[in-house]
Amino acid sequence: MDFPENLPSSDTGRLEQIVSHFFPKALHIVLNSRIPSLQSRGRTRERFSGLNVRKSDKWFNLVMGDRPAALEKLHSWHRNVLDSMIIDIILVHPISSNNNLDDDDDDHGNSIVRSAETVIERWVVQYENPLIMSPQSSDSSTRYQKVYKKSIILLRSLYSQTRLLPAYRVSRQLSSSLASSGYDLIYKVSSFSDIFSGPVTETMKEFRFAPVEVPPGRLSASVTYRSDLSDFNLGVHITLPPRIITDYVGSPATDPMRFFPSPGKSVEGTSFPVRAGRPPLTGSSAERPHSWTSGFHRPPAQFATPNQSFSPAHSHQFSPGLHDFHWSRTDAFGDNHQLSPPFSPSCSPSTPRYISGSNSPQINVRPGTAPVTIPSSATFNRYVSSNFSEPSRNPLPPFSPKSTRRSPSSQDSFPGIALYKSSRSGESPSGLMNQYPAQKLSKDSKYDSGRFSGLLSSSGSPRFGFSRSPSRLSSQDDLDDPDCSCPFDFDDVDESGLQYSQSLDRRKTSSSISQSLPIGRKSQDAAVGVLVHMLKTAPPLRQDSSTYMASMSGIQREGSVSVSVSGTESEYSMAQKHIRCTRGAEKLQAAQRLTSRQIQEWIWSNSCPLSQTKE
Amino acid sequence: MNCEVCQLKELEVEPFEICEVLRCILHTIVFHRALGLIRPKDIDLELFEITYVQCGEIEVEKKIDEKIEQFINWIEKHPNKKSQICLSFYEVKSKQPSWFTKIERLYWEQWYINLNVLQPTKSLIGKSHHSKLVMDPGEASEERSSRRTLLEQSLQEVLFQIIKFVNEKKDHVPPINDGVIYYPFEITIPSSSDSAFGMDMIKRMLHSGHPSMLN
Repeated sequence: MDFPENLPSSDTGRLEQIVSHFFPKALHIVLNSRIPSLQSRGRTRERFSGLNVRKSDKWFNLVMGDRPAALEKLHSWHRNVLDSMIIDIILVHPISSNNNLDDDDDDHGNSIVRSAETVIERWVVQYENPLIMSPQSSDSSTRYQKVYKKSIILLRSLYSQTRLLPAYRVSRQLSSSLASSGYDLIYKVSSFSDIFSGPVTETMKEFRFAPVEVPPGRLSASVTYRSDLSDFNLGVHITLPPRIITDYVGSPATDPMRFFPSPGKSVEGTSFPVRAGRPPLTGSSAERPHSWTSGFHRPPAQFATPNQSFSPAHSHQFSPGLHDFHWSRTDAFGDNHQLSPPFSPSCSPSTPRYISGSNSPQINVRPGTAPVTIPSSATFNRYVSSNFSEPSRNPLPPFSPKSTRRSPSSQDSFPGIALYKSSRSGESPSGLMNQYPAQKLSKDSKYDSGRFSGLLSSSGSPRFGFSRSPSRLSSQDDLDDPDCSCPFDFDDVDESGLQYSQSLDRRKTSSSISQSLPIGRKSQDAAVGVLVHMLKTAPPLRQDSSTYMASMSGIQREGSVSVSVSGTESEYSMAQKHIRCTRGAEKLQAAQRLTSRQIQEWIWSNSCPLSQTKE
Repeated sequence: MNCEVCQLKELEVEPFEICEVLRCILHTIVFHRALGLIRPKDIDLELFEITYVQCGEIEVEKKIDEKIEQFINWIEKHPNKKSQICLSFYEVKSKQPSWFTKIERLYWEQWYINLNVLQPTKSLIGKSHHSKLVMDPGEASEERSSRRTLLEQSLQEVLFQIIKFVNEKKDHVPPINDGVIYYPFEITIPSSSDSAFGMDMIKRMLHSGHPSMLN
């Protein structure tokens, strides 16, 4: 029999060692199977040779991997083997408060969901030292070997049992889904425990492992567990299986001219949890003003693989239920315990499952929309919704090309996607974003940027991402475009300006546009970017003067643009009407009705300084 | 040394479920009898929401997979039968070498896995003929899913049964030899003859009572 350590000289000493090592081993087995953060990592499945195993891990011939530091501390705490070791596995779960809405609402009028803790398992390991010692049947030389063998069997069965009980599935679900949506498993180790109340014991079953005689006492283990965990509605909120969002709405990046529905649609599932005990963000967005940024509500399915590079700790599949990042809810930003949309989209390693290589196949292009080239969905992955600021501030999608340029100050802004893996019980291996909950709110100027930069993606790789996530998320830009920069940066604008000038020359407009563009307002530049793209892909002219491109006006935060209009007066006045009357998504709607050629016309006419507008 | 016998609860399985069910049960048993230094391996079943533990030894895995394959082949030739798979642990006792070497196997534990393999297509056809109704695909899938749920519960019960048994009976387990990871075992499946079941039973009785050379 291989004892992991040098044998004490006396048989009693050996038996004592068995007992003293039994406790930490049992603790390790239980917590390893229950608490995701305490699971041994980095265990490879190469041929196990047993040569590189620590001595302490060899006890009971069950190699578990290195013990987390938390367990080591616990081990040192439990010094007296006569103390029982009671391990409570506690499920933290949200409880909805339907009554007393006034009390439960926070400042923003959103209901607070409280969390509760329920013991779902209790493991008790103890060394019982009966007063009457059992007669020693076998001689001492082989006694410890038999005792050791039996304790090995006991621990084997304990190990198997941990996999069979319901809490194991919960633990697996939580560890694989980063969004615990208010659920978490924590533990408590003590020598004494509260007795379970009557009603609780009715729902709990007990399993007693057969004790092992270890003279002068005996080692015993038992587990009391809840056999039915359906009350906690775990299946609904956790492990939503990855699914393809068939009614994907699309995003400005993929279809700039497309109308995006109002954010009234609720997205099921949960957002990222920041801390245990917090509920998922719901999909209500009634307070959201209409804006075409609402398209960002549904991007996640389309995010491409590059997102994965974002988080090193992200080795698990995301539940797609996370993808409700309703950035319209300002509480998401102000509230520490709700992960805001900025986190969501690119945090989704599961997304590759259904996006990989797809060219946004699920985007519904409405008939009659402008025939623009839809960039591949892979280009959208940069457009993290982290740029969503409080909608109240910027109801309209401004193009702020300047701010999309990565300024040093924006580097320290909201770092982007947070993978929050709630774990109160031990170390949190993944770097978590809940520490950055509200930083970005104050940096509104940076928020303006790039929110709709998706719109401006050129046919190639997008030239800019949301500046909200400058350093982290934008690193994903490197995947496609190492020197991703805003096309409306001065350098880039010149290029686009040149394109303008070339096409404009054909129309005998001033080539000064290339100079005028950078000088113009942010909105103008942004508008130009969209149009540049469309120009590149524009079909031949059509004489359809029914509508004008109102989206350009939508882009302009303040209506007046120092541009001029050429073309027919009637056409222009119609356009002006559109511009004045429409807002946000409505503008998009109008824009959809325009052909790209009409847009070109409008741009040229508006850009030409020669002919003046008539109001 | 007496031979402890454990009869596991009978499971109704469809042919495609045999592999997973058998792997789960056999590995679980061996895990509790692999008392040498091992690194356990958690395996999730694909058909059921059950995780079982393997001892991680490749030889064990190979041996089990081979036997399962043989069993499945046998099932294909003998469909719709109740069958039994026996997992036996033995000790090797070599007698004094004489003019022939006799290796004795002393069985100290036997596990009987009882399976009732159903052929779903035939049963469905039988039903439809009997009732003169076209089998509604919805009904069939509902039936299948409820049967699957029942099987999952039964499989869990079998695993609990194993844990209980290994807990309660420890005295008969031989001492662990140095360097030995798991106790030698063999898996017996029904043989090809029609009277295999009965013959197997007799064989086992002989083996457990009288150690003798096995094929």
